[in-house]
Amino acid sequence: MYRIRFHGRGGQGMKTASRLLGTAFFLAGYQVQDAPRYGAERRGAPIFAFVRAAKAAIFERGIIREPDLVVVADDSLVPVPMAGVLQGADPHTVMLLNTGESAETWRHRLNYPGTLLTLPAEAAERAELRFVGATCAGAAARLLGVIPRETLAAALHQELAAHGEAVVQRNLDQALAAFDAMAEHAGCVGEGAAVGLDRAPAPAWVELPVDPADAAAAAIHAGATSVEVRTGLWRILRPVIDYARCNRCWWVCSEFCPDSAIKVVDGRPEIDYDHCKGCMICVAQCPPHAIAAVPERQFSEAKA
Amino acid sequence: MSEQIATIYKRMKDLPSTHILGAGTPMCAGCGGLQALHEVYDILGEKTVFVNAAGCMTLLAVYPFTPFRGSWLYTSMSSAPAGAQGVRDALDILLAKGRIPPEEDLAVAVLTGDGSAYGMGLSATSGAIERGLDFLYLCYDNEGYGNTGQQTSPATPHGAKTATATGPAGFGGYKKDLFAIWAAHRPAYVATVIGTEPLDLARKIEKAKAMKGPRLIIALAPCPTGWDFDPQQTVEVGKLAVKTGIWPLKEYENGQVTHTKVPSQRVPVEEYLKKQGRFAHLFAPQRDEATLAEIQAQVDAYWAGMEGEQ
Ligand SMILES: Cc1ncc(C[n+]2csc(CCOP(=O)(O)OP(=O)(O)O)c2C)c(N)n1
Ligand code: SF4
Ligand SMILES: [Mg+2]
Repeated sequence: MYRIRFHGRGGQGMKTASRLLGTAFFLAGYQVQDAPRYGAERRGAPIFAFVRAAKAAIFERGIIREPDLVVVADDSLVPVPMAGVLQGADPHTVMLLNTGESAETWRHRLNYPGTLLTLPAEAAERAELRFVGATCAGAAARLLGVIPRETLAAALHQELAAHGEAVVQRNLDQALAAFDAMAEHAGCVGEGAAVGLDRAPAPAWVELPVDPADAAAAAIHAGATSVEVRTGLWRILRPVIDYARCNRCWWVCSEFCPDSAIKVVDGRPEIDYDHCKGCMICVAQCPPHAIAAVPERQFSEAKA
Repeated sequence: MSEQIATIYKRMKDLPSTHILGAGTPMCAGCGGLQALHEVYDILGEKTVFVNAAGCMTLLAVYPFTPFRGSWLYTSMSSAPAGAQGVRDALDILLAKGRIPPEEDLAVAVLTGDGSAYGMGLSATSGAIERGLDFLYLCYDNEGYGNTGQQTSPATPHGAKTATATGPAGFGGYKKDLFAIWAAHRPAYVATVIGTEPLDLARKIEKAKAMKGPRLIIALAPCPTGWDFDPQQTVEVGKLAVKTGIWPLKEYENGQVTHTKVPSQRVPVEEYLKKQGRFAHLFAPQRDEATLAEIQAQVDAYWAGMEGEQ
């Protein structure tokens, strides 16, 4: 059985990627499961989607813990623990990263045990990211080596037809280019062993003492507890204020920020990077253009 | 007319520069609904209890996290105003029995999406207005069932693509006029607002806050996810909604409707439509002149009907 996990942020098309790959597998004669997985978070938050494909009926259920292939649409997710990109990766697992850096750099940085490949980071522009799903699906299809080029194209037509010819064509170009670019690595992903009930690990039972209701689900008396949630992790671009240009206007940035992530202290705006989701409204609206959009990866590089 | 009551929000600099809505909510980056909510909450203040029908904003308060400073009650899509009645009654009883002092009284605010306000919750709202319930209703109108993936709602505009209007022409129906429906009940106050016009919004919420009885506000909420535009365009899209005249800013009071911000030279409505992927099929592969002209004609007819009124 093939087990493939796609990681991205809400809005980057990983649900589409898993759907495209799943349909391509199906058209190639496989039994397939494909499903996105996300919680209450929305656009920008880490999400994943997965595909299982096998020639025989699939009885395995739930999320994939032992992937044969991990595709990461956005390399800023790799260091985010809650994204779980590296979960279950072993020497058998092929990892495909969409990144501006070299595979060598990432292999070294992660001390990665398996094969690590990169897609050229063509999708640095946020508006282009919506097509990265097709790119990921196309590249994954080639790495698996069991999906013919025409089958990939047919799957794409079938899944995206409702969006009109222009969208289909654009995605098709991306998917096939990625398919072709991966020729050198065709078929490098191998099928993982079937995990039958006999091989399933014994459940790790946890004793849960019965707590009084008010201790088990305590009443919250504090206000604004949402600040404990670090939505700053959603960001791929960081707004940075150039205080030499900020003319201390009527706090346009702070007023329009949907997330209460810009406070004004003595007329001076301060961005709360723990919570800024990176919508870039402030960048677009600042009257003297004092706020720049800087890719987050520049900051993680500076730290590394 | 709106100038009769002295406002403390005379210019932009009078708007609050600190915000009481907590950060860290699960709303999408660039959510126009959240933008309107934080502006409204700044004016209403901490002593507000929110009664919230199912929708995107249900996710604001997911135990143990909440961006609010006080309580929040969750109801079904059809019954938020009924929930507000219960909260108001409970507060009134506590006040009457002396179990809370008057200064601990709370304002009761209903918070719902358009699916609830224009559709499933309309009957409960009608009843609450009829009973003269002392509450404020804030509807953030993202013109669809956003939380479940932007299906068509009774607020979806003509021609928009939604998850359930996927055909080549988009949604064939027309947006319901909720402002008129609410105003026909003769409540204390009805207004339209948008987060991208914060001064107009602040004055209206300030005014509503000072009143008693049913006060109902519809905030057009540009939705990057459901309307398909880059999140950084939220303010631009919202401003165009006002400049093109497709979202008239107005208020109803004492049987009279007043427009609070009349676009002097209306920008062609297609400038607004063009920015949004949900209308992309009106422009490519070829322009759908008939639909574009129809939408423009409706906007023009609206404002022609308003002439002499301001
Ligand atoms: C009676 C009922 N039907 C369907 C649902 C499922 N549901 C949950 S949220 C939602 C969308 C609500 O749309 P809207 O009121 O516009 O709020 P938005 O999601 O756009 O914020 C739906 C259909 C429900 N909760 N209750
Ligand atoms: S779907 Fe739209 S309304 Fe809902 S949270 Fe996202 S941007 Fe806001
Ligand atoms: Mg809605």
